[in-house]
Amino acid sequence: MATLDTAAASATLEGSALPDFASATYKDAYSRINAIVIEGEQEAHDNYIAIGSLIPEQAEELTKLARMELKHKKGFTACAANLGVEADMAFAKQFFTPLHDNFQVALAEGKVTTCLLIQAILIEAFAISAYHIYIPVSDPFARKITEGVVKDEYTHLNYGQEWLKANLESVREELEQANRDNLPLVRKMLEQVADDAAALHMDKEDLMADFMTSYQEALIEIGFTSREIARLATAALLG
Amino acid sequence: MFGLIGHSTSLDEARSKALALGYPEYAEGDFDMWCVAPPQLVETVHVTSRTGQVIEGAYIDSVFVPEMLSRFKTARRKVLSAMELAQKNDIAITALGGFTSIIFENFNLLKEQHIRGTTLEWERFTTGNTHTAWVICQQVERNAPLLGIDLAKAKVAVVGATGDIGSAVCRWLQRTGVGELLLVARQQQRLQELQSDLGGGRILPLEEALPEADVVVWVASLPQGLAIDPASLKKPCLMIDGGYPKNLDSKFAGEGVYVVKGGIVEFWQDLGWQMMEVAEMENPRRQLFACFAEAMLLEFEGIHTNFSWGRNNITLEAMELIGGASLRHGFQALGLDPARLGQLAAV
Repeated sequence: MATLDTAAASATLEGSALPDFASATYKDAYSRINAIVIEGEQEAHDNYIAIGSLIPEQAEELTKLARMELKHKKGFTACAANLGVEADMAFAKQFFTPLHDNFQVALAEGKVTTCLLIQAILIEAFAISAYHIYIPVSDPFARKITEGVVKDEYTHLNYGQEWLKANLESVREELEQANRDNLPLVRKMLEQVADDAAALHMDKEDLMADFMTSYQEALIEIGFTSREIARLATAALLG
Repeated sequence: MFGLIGHSTSLDEARSKALALGYPEYAEGDFDMWCVAPPQLVETVHVTSRTGQVIEGAYIDSVFVPEMLSRFKTARRKVLSAMELAQKNDIAITALGGFTSIIFENFNLLKEQHIRGTTLEWERFTTGNTHTAWVICQQVERNAPLLGIDLAKAKVAVVGATGDIGSAVCRWLQRTGVGELLLVARQQQRLQELQSDLGGGRILPLEEALPEADVVVWVASLPQGLAIDPASLKKPCLMIDGGYPKNLDSKFAGEGVYVVKGGIVEFWQDLGWQMMEVAEMENPRRQLFACFAEAMLLEFEGIHTNFSWGRNNITLEAMELIGGASLRHGFQALGLDPARLGQLAAV
């Protein structure tokens, strides 16, 4: 069995040394990660507006949330400019296609629950975890912007949680199906960008673990038991 | 409410426990899955003191297994995430059990107070080391006479003497009055500081201390590859296995050498949990780590503070306080195996 001594020895070599923000490797990876974030904020904006069409009485509230996403998009666009990086938007569009398509199908069928799970729970929980991991290894300019954004994203996650919690008994089945259909996509998306994230000193295991924690927290808040969540969450881990 | 943060003793054990507790998906998961899995609040329990007082507590499995020790970031995240979960459940006082406490101290996680959006409130946590140190001292003082060892004349080796628990044990035993304290640890500088604080004790390497000792208190993990000939030990020799994990029994127990599981207490009645370190206790319904019991004692006593925290802060007064509470609420330090004592009487 490994001992604590060997663990401590490897620990001294790690730590959160900052990457070289000016290096070509960093900028290359950043062009894709930053694009994903920009595209993600744009998708989030469009998705909240779209959800508002399904629940008109909440449209005003959802429009407010949507506006915040556009503000975030501007912030992250500025981050790329600050580093002299051009975001690879074509890559980002492609990256979001599976989730985007699933959202559009659900929207066309009027499935509020599925739409909320995709946007307000899965994407927000992932964004929150990723931003938290990014902040300590980000450049000072991006750090300030990201810290502001992450606070807003909790508001969005909270919106989804509250709606699903209030309607849990009637939406449970749809929620479970939506989880099965979409959670594995999140893992695949993460794997697709793991190397780029590593270039930004963001560890793949940390990203996945923190996402699982945020997702578990959201599901507990919605009203699932920890055993139900284990069943739901492992769809991503084993799928 | 009190909390306990624990872990399984191996991935295999964790898998079978997951199955038993109704988490079949975890049971099927591979090592990588276990590395990213979040901590789980597995169950809540009610505990009734011998005084009749009832408290509520929760067991949080950190979903850490010892196989993760070589992965610093994983181990760190597991411990901090479990603490975050305890705090988010508004648990007033939570003990770090097994490796989680060791990881916290050795990886200096005191510097890592922020995890995701949460600032950990240290006053909600305890290492439980004060109670563990007190229990180990009780185990020395009660069991040595049963083997005919006169503590007032005995040489007591403390292996890991400069650690948090080890240094507290030294201070306590010195006040009790033992023949001589043999101080064993790896760092010479710390050993000399300890010796000067105690105003006594003899610093020795492990291999020289063991053959001289009537009593050996182990509060360090066994060095890998350590080869000690049991025949070179004194007879009788009382060994208190206070390290983690507990593995002295298989290594040393034999004729004249008596090993007690150190830092383990037995409650006065069954605790109604499914979960506790089942594989590690002979009677898991009643036996538990003294560090876990400390969280219960602090909850019984309404002491909601990080009672045991940092290194070498354990005072004799704090040990007396927690020891008094321990006896009052119905805990008892584990002693020598009665069957082995019976053999002794027959000799």
